[in-house]
Amino acid sequence: MPKWFVPVAVVCGLMFAAAPLLIANAPYESTMGLVQKIFYVHLPSALIFLISAIVCGVASVRFLFGGNPRHDRLAWAAAELVVLFGIITLVTGPLWARKAWGVWWQWDVRLTASLMGWMVGVAYLLLRKYGGPGSDKLAAGLALFGMANVPFIYISVNYWRTIHPTTNVLPTLPVSMGLPVWFTFATFFLLFLLLLRMRVRLEEQRARLDALYLSADA
Amino acid sequence: MITRLLVAIVMAGSLLGVTVSTQQPPPQQQEEFIPIDQLPPQDQLPAAPLLITAYSFVVLALFAYVLSVARRLSVVQRELDRLQSDTTRGRT
Repeated sequence: MPKWFVPVAVVCGLMFAAAPLLIANAPYESTMGLVQKIFYVHLPSALIFLISAIVCGVASVRFLFGGNPRHDRLAWAAAELVVLFGIITLVTGPLWARKAWGVWWQWDVRLTASLMGWMVGVAYLLLRKYGGPGSDKLAAGLALFGMANVPFIYISVNYWRTIHPTTNVLPTLPVSMGLPVWFTFATFFLLFLLLLRMRVRLEEQRARLDALYLSADA
Repeated sequence: MITRLLVAIVMAGSLLGVTVSTQQPPPQQQEEFIPIDQLPPQDQLPAAPLLITAYSFVVLALFAYVLSVARRLSVVQRELDRLQSDTTRGRT
């Protein structure tokens, strides 16, 4: 593991310990009350979900046009994080919506596009696991669609009539609510970097193992 | 003539009666904002279980993923070490 890994892991752990205090001290939102505190994990996980899809897409483009296996390993690692942070977003959102909107789910554009983005991540992983030879290139092509979906997910709420809040919420938050949400986002981002590095390391070790088996057979 | 007039009056009256009877009373409009904690109990959904479920799910999902990657890493590392020692032994 690189030198930065352990210090970043320590900082991330401390931030995870401090985050509940900040969230608990944040004021209640006037109309939704206690359940609005789901926001402090829902929004950061949603942003990391989108960042993971972008990392997966960019690495896939570089792999498709450059052929460097390092980029393929990065794309595979990021695809797993798309699925992880995507499922967190898709579970915490309905739990909040049940109280705030009165329904678990709405087939509105943001929710549907997010579900599609998550399913692209799942499809990528299934393709890598069961696709056989050549599935790396096919999966990289699929990752491009996952990345193309990201701006659509983000701006959709500003263009279509939807029950989901628009992108104006975040910049207009008062400091008492903005501080906990940005702190939690920074914590999730550090965790994303750590998990990405761990997952890339796993693929590097697998590549070394494959190389050793090949050299043993030769 | 009088009979026709009477029939017309009865029919008009019955139609009016049907129209009036099918009209629903206007829904009672909510006149002002009601804070969530002042809603009647049957309209309140407890927030705490939803909040606890959300946070528990986040912690469990992240923990399970970290464990999964760590387990896969240790399996590959063990196999790598075994193969390297076998290769070294084969050379000597």
